[in-house]
Amino acid sequence: MIDDRDKLIAEAVEKGLQGDMDTINGIEDRVIRSKAKAALHKAKKVAKESGTGIEDSKEETASPVDENQSPNQIVFAYLEKKIPGSVIVQEGDLEECIYVNPSSWEAVSKLLRNDEILQFDSLQCITGIDIGEGILESRYNFHSMSLRHTIEIRIPVSIDNPKIYSIEQIWRIGDWFEREVYDMVGIIFEGHRNLKRMLLPDDWEGFPLRKDYETQQTYHGIAIPKVKEEWE
Amino acid sequence: MGVIHGEEMVLNIGPQHPSTHGVLRLKVKTDGEVVSDIYPVIGYLHRSFEKHCENVTYEQVVPYTDRCDYIASMNNNLGYAVTVEELMGIEVPEKVEYIRIIVAEFNRIASHLLALGTYGLDVGAFTPFLYMFRDRERILDMFEMVCGARLLYNYIWVGGVSHDLPKGFVETAYQFLDYFEPQVTEYNNLLTYNKIFVERTADVGVLPPDVAINYGVTGPNLRASGVKWDIRKDEPYSIYDKFDFDVPVGQGELGTIGDCWDRYWVRMREIEESVKILRQALKGLPKDGDVHQAIPKKIRPPKGSIYKRTESPRGDLAYYITSDGKPKPYRLKMRSPAFTSLSVLNKISKGWMLSDVIAILGSLDIVLGEIDR
Repeated sequence: MIDDRDKLIAEAVEKGLQGDMDTINGIEDRVIRSKAKAALHKAKKVAKESGTGIEDSKEETASPVDENQSPNQIVFAYLEKKIPGSVIVQEGDLEECIYVNPSSWEAVSKLLRNDEILQFDSLQCITGIDIGEGILESRYNFHSMSLRHTIEIRIPVSIDNPKIYSIEQIWRIGDWFEREVYDMVGIIFEGHRNLKRMLLPDDWEGFPLRKDYETQQTYHGIAIPKVKEEWE
Repeated sequence: MGVIHGEEMVLNIGPQHPSTHGVLRLKVKTDGEVVSDIYPVIGYLHRSFEKHCENVTYEQVVPYTDRCDYIASMNNNLGYAVTVEELMGIEVPEKVEYIRIIVAEFNRIASHLLALGTYGLDVGAFTPFLYMFRDRERILDMFEMVCGARLLYNYIWVGGVSHDLPKGFVETAYQFLDYFEPQVTEYNNLLTYNKIFVERTADVGVLPPDVAINYGVTGPNLRASGVKWDIRKDEPYSIYDKFDFDVPVGQGELGTIGDCWDRYWVRMREIEESVKILRQALKGLPKDGDVHQAIPKKIRPPKGSIYKRTESPRGDLAYYITSDGKPKPYRLKMRSPAFTSLSVLNKISKGWMLSDVIAILGSLDIVLGEIDR
């Protein structure tokens, strides 16, 4: 009887591994069925471990970093592999920076912070910039204190709907940096818990570092002197 | 026995208050005398530095950088100059490099003396403040000799410096160093190991290294938490790779690693390292050379962006410059180290007494001119 049961389980597991679950589900005895399922789970796990083991060793042989590549190029290729479609390919720019798709910034930022190979634990700077033609950019300079490499990431958004995912809770300094970018350029960071003006008064109108910014005539009844364009 | 909770009170420190080191306002939420939350309000000294830079030429930006961190203007000038030079690919003469290192390191000593002196003042020690200001005054006299100004120098230009070192400067510098080195021992006797001072600062406001990195804290504040990161060593700019000096880190000698005392002590040891660099630089200073030789007639960097970091007395000072090939910067952003240092204040002062918050704020060595820009 016991031999029969073991045979039954072994048979079911083998079929299950091949993708046929009907045999296991067809077992009438509840105890035997659950035992068979547990055995199948175990067998699958073993197979997976040995499988990934092979993959890992492959990666190790393939991954030695090309010394001639800049960190930007390496990270670009890595991001493209991990999150397809997250980076925007633009010719000739890779020496300077990586363009990231605003829609995948959430996943990319988490990967940058937590990935073993990247480990960007330090956010150095966020620069907001109005590059003209209705495009605003948020530029991030990252540095890894543990691995000592740096990259620059740029996220372009339209001036009509300038919304970018906030990284304030991943790098805490992002809190103040993002507030400053919002203050100066007017990019709205979605998910920021306290997106207020940083340096200017709360009731200031407009975003001064946009190229189409016009100085207010008066502020609280005080006339604002005109900016001299050229020094004579 | 249950815990009795008193009513929470919001206390407003500043914007005009001597212990905030400038026009900083702190909204402090307190429970009795214990601080539960701090909300720094900044921007009282905002002079639209970045907006101004877009309206002036690259040469005219230099005096504006002076006025950002007015305690260490030379280092601000230097950071800006090396950034634009790298963007344009300018090589400066060796003599200029040496002069820059000399003035920058003197300014680092002056800045640290001010930071340590006023820190003593914050926690109630008046005398060391006078001693340190007396010595800082001699450095400012030397700067007056070099460029005519005592605080806002406009000395380091793109491609060179405004004046050659005057006659007799090197001798004066050596005299000062000979006089100054024993003074450090005196400071240590007066303040560093003073029982009251140690009680007020050791084990107070501990900043763990991972928190420091996450909050972007750099410079002496980060090194006091035990992280060995100094741009002068790890990413040398100018000719810092030629000099032999150590990078002091906090070891928690009298308390925990990363406490207020460690932040104080790292600065004190950095003064000694600066003296070491100065001696080597004065020795290697070339006699001949034209300091105006490499100054470009027109500064028009090629299209592109650059992010360049330098080590100011307060930490990583970086300029992000975007050029569109015109004589004015398209966008200039300054990453100021004091800005990031201040952001960590709320995190590390929770649960401390109100008087300790003053000690913690003083140990971070902030300059409001640089935070507000």
